[in-house]
Amino acid sequence: MQIRSPGVWACVALAVAAVLFALLATNPYHASLVVWILTNAVLAAALRFVLQIGELNIATAAFFGVGAYTTSICAVLLGWPFWLTLLLAPLVAALLSALFGWVTLRTKGPYFLLVSFAFTEVVRLIYTQINVIGGNSGLVGMFPPMAIDAHYPAFAAALLAAALFALYGVERSDLGRLFKAIRNNDAIPRSVGLNVVFLKVLCVVIAAAAVGLAGGLHAYANNVIAPSDFSYFVAILALAYVKIGGEGHPMGPVVGAAVLTLVGQRVAGISAWENIFYGAVIVVALLAFPGGLIGLAGRVRGLVRGGAR
Amino acid sequence: MNGEASTVTGGEVILRAERLERRFGGLTAVSDFSFELRAGEILGLIGPNGAGKSTTFNLISGFIRPSGGRLVVMGRDVTGASATTISRMGLVRTFQHDSLLSEMSVVDNILVGASHRQRGHEKRMEKVREVAAMTGLADHLDTIAGNLPHGLQRMLSIAIALAAEPRILCLDEPLTGLQGAEVGAALDLFERLRTAHGLTILLVEHNMRAVMRACDRLIVLNYGRLLAEGSPEEVSRNEAVIEAYLGRKR
Repeated sequence: MQIRSPGVWACVALAVAAVLFALLATNPYHASLVVWILTNAVLAAALRFVLQIGELNIATAAFFGVGAYTTSICAVLLGWPFWLTLLLAPLVAALLSALFGWVTLRTKGPYFLLVSFAFTEVVRLIYTQINVIGGNSGLVGMFPPMAIDAHYPAFAAALLAAALFALYGVERSDLGRLFKAIRNNDAIPRSVGLNVVFLKVLCVVIAAAAVGLAGGLHAYANNVIAPSDFSYFVAILALAYVKIGGEGHPMGPVVGAAVLTLVGQRVAGISAWENIFYGAVIVVALLAFPGGLIGLAGRVRGLVRGGAR
Repeated sequence: MNGEASTVTGGEVILRAERLERRFGGLTAVSDFSFELRAGEILGLIGPNGAGKSTTFNLISGFIRPSGGRLVVMGRDVTGASATTISRMGLVRTFQHDSLLSEMSVVDNILVGASHRQRGHEKRMEKVREVAAMTGLADHLDTIAGNLPHGLQRMLSIAIALAAEPRILCLDEPLTGLQGAEVGAALDLFERLRTAHGLTILLVEHNMRAVMRACDRLIVLNYGRLLAEGSPEEVSRNEAVIEAYLGRKR
């Protein structure tokens, strides 16, 4: 494996720059924008991670919520230490996703998509019905410890970037090849003694751990969470990031999340029009540049090179 | 090998199908089908289109479950076991259609084949190189499988199976669409796998000349039932077989 390619070093440099920017930004809004972009990037990367096995996992939104609620419950209701609450977020999300995957990954395609959608909405409705965790209004008062508080955006950005690199590392490993093999033709891995259902569950669990961590970090970044933050729409947005950035490239979700989050800051507040805007962007992107922005960049570069020759 | 594929039979029974049956709704695809595969032989499974060959293949490899009967592989009852379990026991199959990972490179195809048996990337790559050399794919490792010429695609599907280190190799029409010289090379490979690597081979094939040359024994399936069994010479002289199969085809 040639993990140490120039592209990877460029991404490491970019991640370091993002963390430094979050650390040094004088405007707190800019610092939290970095966290917001990276959180969306992790959501999109996790969605794309499960797309490796050919499944669109709407429950990516649910496991983001599970991470956020786990951290918040442990911090606010139980008063557990910061590090423990952050560690539990990915663990609980992973555990729940293993149960979810073990039951649901015997279905595929549109069936799995619908089940994962239903699961996400059911989990959200469960939050609204439990008074201890705030019902519809959710939980308030998750704060990072004093020592970290001032630099929390940089801290969160570093962990989120690490999650992105971890997902990329798995994708590039032999395990990542097995995931792609399942999507390409799952009869082949079955015929050579691989347990395809187990591998699919593993794929969903790894992605859920990443978004679970992102959920926990989000809880401390936002200080308040509510059930409505974790509807299926979170996954639809993540899909938009993937499609806009480019599904074919590991950086696609990051580029898509960055562009759409920044653009989203402009259209935020126009309520219903906001959703129409995202929908239109997905449709236009799919029709005009199917490879996403990264695919488009590749084509432009190809044209320039072709012209120079 | 030069035509005398013959007397290697007589090993212990490595696979036994007992009164295998499979119904799809009202249609009985295979019924009352019993046969034995002996260690070290190349057994040909032939029959007209729709005779139940593919169903039989799916049954013994665990891709579908039998409606009745029993399947014993290496002394263990595997009736109703999953494809994964049967493959891990050493019975590995290839496919007639969609027989490879068309979007992935040749290396990755074979690597997937080696993934369960070999632990660690280096060991898997060792296996990839070994199998690629055996199957004539060493110069095509980075090619996307779907872009390979047809003959090499057939070899790749065998390479994937070999990377899983089978004891029993079940080949579903591996010669379909191969040119003259490629058929010879494939048959040589089968013979080498049997003699040098101790594999037992079950071969479903339409190319009768190749079947006659490669196989020690033939079983003939017609309308989901066993029609005849014996050496290629015996079967080719069998009246019922000629009528059901060869006669109709000529």
